Amino acid sequence: MAVNFEKLIMDLVAPLVVHPEDLLVKKFSEDEESITIQVIVHKDDLGRVIGKGGKIANAIRTISYAAASRIGKKINIDIDSF
Amino acid sequence: MKTFRFETKVLNDATLKFAADEMKVNQEYVSLKVVEEKHGLLGLNKNYVVEAVVNFDPINDSIRFLQMILTDMEIKAIVEAHQGEENNFTFTIDAEENPILIGRNGKTLDAIQTLLKNYINIFTDEHYMVLVDIGGYKEQRKKQLEILATKTAKEVAKSRISVCLNKMNAYERRVIHTKLSDWRDVTTESEGEEPNRYVVIRPKAK
Repeated sequence: MAVNFEKLIMDLVAPLVVHPEDLLVKKFSEDEESITIQVIVHKDDLGRVIGKGGKIANAIRTISYAAASRIGKKINIDIDSF
Repeated sequence: MKTFRFETKVLNDATLKFAADEMKVNQEYVSLKVVEEKHGLLGLNKNYVVEAVVNFDPINDSIRFLQMILTDMEIKAIVEAHQGEENNFTFTIDAEENPILIGRNGKTLDAIQTLLKNYINIFTDEHYMVLVDIGGYKEQRKKQLEILATKTAKEVAKSRISVCLNKMNAYERRVIHTKLSDWRDVTTESEGEEPNRYVVIRPKAK
């Protein structure tokens, strides 16, 4: 079973942003234990994607973590702006 | 739904972008409607009064959003929505792999709920109450909590010693408070800081 994490995170983040043209989701590295995914959003969207006290960011992490746990991997998500 | 009225001289993509920026939503969800054309003196300056509307249906779009995420996770599931009184929505998900979606102590379930609530409230002005339940987990948890509340309250009433319960999230604390609100012998109070807030059940002074 191959879950496409880039697409999953893209779908999770896309409705939140005002500047979809500046949204970038990229797999950074993958090894046997973990996957690192980099999310880059427009400067103005950063606050909305992270949320109050990282609430939204953590929700996104938890959902991705659940999806990744089925293939026995950990997932790290970095959220950053330009 | 969010609406926004403004005047403009030209109608093009930039107008749409402006409206989307003003309302702080993704421009794919915005549509424009010309309400009125204003002509200046001699009919030279033309101004449009435009109304921008967010195309969003809380129930159907939320179901689509949940289905999309579940498909991305490769989980087959049935999503149902139910509108309670006023702006109260309950979404029930039933999947083959419920435990994965619920997570430890309902952590993943809470994440889905937070995200969906945020998703709905971005596109609307009104405030919606959103509840997500997976395979009857919340209902079952509510029953358990009510049993725990009654049992502990009886003990407190008898021994007259305060009891602290384990840390719980806002919804779970609410269940306990509501359950014990009409008891004569005990009072309840939440203490501590999020995310380690907990309920204390105290005997009522006579």
